[in-house]
Amino acid sequence: MTERVILSYALEQLQNKGIEHASGSVSKGTTYEMNVEANKMTLIRTVFNNSLSLYVIKDNKSGSISVNKLDKEAIDKAITDIIEIAESSEPDPAHAIAEYQPAAQFSVGPAEPDMDLMYQRLEQFLTTVREQFPKIMLENVYFKFNHNTRFIANTNGVDYTVSKGIYSFTSMFSGHDGDKSSSFNYTGFSTQDINQELLAFGSQKYLLEQSSNQIDTQSLSGKFVGDVIVTPDCLGDFLGYLFDITIFDGALISGTSVYKDSLGKQVADPRLVVHSWPVSSEIADGYFLTGDGYRAENCTIIDHGVLKTFLLSLYGANKTGLARGVNNGGCYVIEPGTKSLEEIIGHVKRGILLARYSGGSPSQNGDFSGVAKNSYYIEDGKIQYPISETMISGNLVEMLQNITEISKERVNFGWGIYPWIGFSNLTISGK
Amino acid sequence: MLAFDLTKFGALFTGYTELRVQENRTVSIGFLQGNNTSNVKSANSGVSARVYQNGSWGFACSPELNEDSFRSVIYAASNNAAFLDQKQKKQKSSLPSVPVQAEHDFATKKPRLTQKQLIEFVKQVDQYIAEKYPDLVSRYVGLNCLDMEKLLYTSDGSYSYSLHPRSILYVSLTVERDGKPIELYDVFGSRGQFEDVFSDPAELYPKIDQLYEHLRHKQQGVYAEPGIKDCILDAELGGILAHEAIGHTTEADLVMSGSIAAKYMNQEVASPLVTLVDFAHTALGETCPIPLYVDDEGTQAEDAVIIDKGVLKSYLHNKESAQHYQVKPTGNARAWSFSDEPLIRMRNTAILPGTDKLEDMISSIDDGYYLIRPNNGQADTTSEFMFGVILGYEIKNGKLGRAILDTTISGIAFDVLKTVTMVSEDMHWSVSGMCGKKQPMPVGMGGPAIKCKVNIGGR
Repeated sequence: MTERVILSYALEQLQNKGIEHASGSVSKGTTYEMNVEANKMTLIRTVFNNSLSLYVIKDNKSGSISVNKLDKEAIDKAITDIIEIAESSEPDPAHAIAEYQPAAQFSVGPAEPDMDLMYQRLEQFLTTVREQFPKIMLENVYFKFNHNTRFIANTNGVDYTVSKGIYSFTSMFSGHDGDKSSSFNYTGFSTQDINQELLAFGSQKYLLEQSSNQIDTQSLSGKFVGDVIVTPDCLGDFLGYLFDITIFDGALISGTSVYKDSLGKQVADPRLVVHSWPVSSEIADGYFLTGDGYRAENCTIIDHGVLKTFLLSLYGANKTGLARGVNNGGCYVIEPGTKSLEEIIGHVKRGILLARYSGGSPSQNGDFSGVAKNSYYIEDGKIQYPISETMISGNLVEMLQNITEISKERVNFGWGIYPWIGFSNLTISGK
Repeated sequence: MLAFDLTKFGALFTGYTELRVQENRTVSIGFLQGNNTSNVKSANSGVSARVYQNGSWGFACSPELNEDSFRSVIYAASNNAAFLDQKQKKQKSSLPSVPVQAEHDFATKKPRLTQKQLIEFVKQVDQYIAEKYPDLVSRYVGLNCLDMEKLLYTSDGSYSYSLHPRSILYVSLTVERDGKPIELYDVFGSRGQFEDVFSDPAELYPKIDQLYEHLRHKQQGVYAEPGIKDCILDAELGGILAHEAIGHTTEADLVMSGSIAAKYMNQEVASPLVTLVDFAHTALGETCPIPLYVDDEGTQAEDAVIIDKGVLKSYLHNKESAQHYQVKPTGNARAWSFSDEPLIRMRNTAILPGTDKLEDMISSIDDGYYLIRPNNGQADTTSEFMFGVILGYEIKNGKLGRAILDTTISGIAFDVLKTVTMVSEDMHWSVSGMCGKKQPMPVGMGGPAIKCKVNIGGR
């Protein structure tokens, strides 16, 4: 059976067994991956995998199953199992599947990798790093191409096909000089083609240069309240933390979101505009469908400081009585500001440039504290020296209200586009 | 049970080869505010081959479990290794070999419960919380069960079957202070399938009552005063310190990539009170949370004494790093899924207990903190670490004071361990350790409470 036929068969069997509502997906994918350890290429991987996922609602009871076998015996077992799983659950009228939408097919990226070019690009990257950044040790690099074709359907007539090919690159590195070393840092990007050298993507060059210069650090003494300029790599982490505790199902169903009554209200500095653009041509690694089986749409989450939407699933929307989100989040794009990074640094009386945050998961109220890694101390508008053993603490919700500047420069990682943003009133403490 | 004769594919091996069949099975059940929000089962299985050729590796895997598939993954992995070898020409010698045959099955002997019975168990725990603590603004109870079943055959003659299950129940409670949420959670469970780990929901109620008491204290809690303080890190924090800050730093692949531990072998890196071990399967006469007898390279797993009375004595090795350092492999090569290659991973990492009593340790501090529960942790190859702390108390004049709000502690592990002046006599393993290093991996972390100086974040 082809993947499409497998999915039709599964949904038909479920309906024959008295299931009112069911949805499912079947996918086949291949990943080609080249690995680097300690500056040397060590491993090539070829990964084939399948998946069959089914979601069933019976008498308002629901359950899900996921397996990676697509033979008839495995499919029939999954069908029997999912009915038992769903029948076991507690009823909840909020469970639902997407309503009918016209069938569509989506395709993006190459179907096959150019393996020779992948190898050449990785060799070129290793050579260039060795020559331009001789103090850098590439601890790990993973360079992948993944292609996946997925069929999505439900008993309301939803029928989508998504085919996607994408290259992705992750590197972890540190600077070394004799016995001394910097902290490790990491970054990455996704792209649909590798027509330019890998070093040109994302923030690779910027961070490799930083790590080369972060071998001799100083620790700050005492504590002060100052400005923190957050780099694009680090900004994605902060935004992810904040949205996780405020705009998705868990925080809104449980009622713990500090934004639960803030829709349409000012939650951030008026200069802040945050989009979620999963179907933008600017985002290489986006997505076409939500987890519920709707076509994903772009949206603006924070528009000039005003919270414009939550990103609830269909279940979350039914549970809370709020609107369903038009996408599943991610692919965040922050509008640029008007000042250069240099100008933003120039206006800092006392603070740090935060290139990596290593901290505890923020509390539900947004409080956080953690170590400022790969970061620099700034005083009187100038970067002074790289720091170690320095902690920062604050509150994510308050941070958005305390923006000093947003840079006009931005970095496109393929999965998001971020500027540098300065925040005031954060506690910075040394030894 | 996975039942394949892998030996018949040995004729296809062109060099050192691992052929592994694996299935990971999970059950996930969650109740959020009394709503059964999660009810999921999954099974992910397949076959993989990894081939070594003169210092270059090739890997391939397939979800299909038939003879054609076994042949094709061996062929594809061999081709990948040959391609890289042709390009890289590392000309390394063959890997060390200590073949072993073993079978370790931790499946329950009891009748398996149905999904409905599992849901009923979780629901009863949720209802107990809802009825006893109506002042909570939110509650979540979640059950996660994982079975990892593996069958391994290597070209140097190792053959191993294993089934490692783990069942954990997560309970999170939230109250409000000034309209803002204050949360605390705990995790219960251990190695084993559900039937061997849990029997009666009521057995958990005293622990949930204790969790609620801590939360009430935290609701009135204060921000920690930032700076370097005398602290007692209770067992869970001691365990995460051992794992994140020391264990990772001494994984031999990271040592080869420039970890600071590279320059410390046989040097004093901690107080003489500190002995730190990555246990393979048995610690102090008890089976560990993650009992590993044979790793995914077919090496018999042995304890690695990383720090012995303050002196760095060993790294954690797979076959390749053992070859590099000319030592015996320690059996630390582990893979998460059939589609993953084995990496150097910890098993059960802990500081050994000392002779002090916890109450004496607390009374020895004039101004500091007793830190009980972490939520996450990360460490650097410089051994600089940070751990989130979600439960802790002030110590003032030798007595426990107010609870503290969520904070983070940090330090340079090899410096912090030199400040250890007391080690408690008890030993506790955390039940839910999940390590991230390219792939996720269940691990055991544990130890006694230790008294040391660390940097604590706050306002």
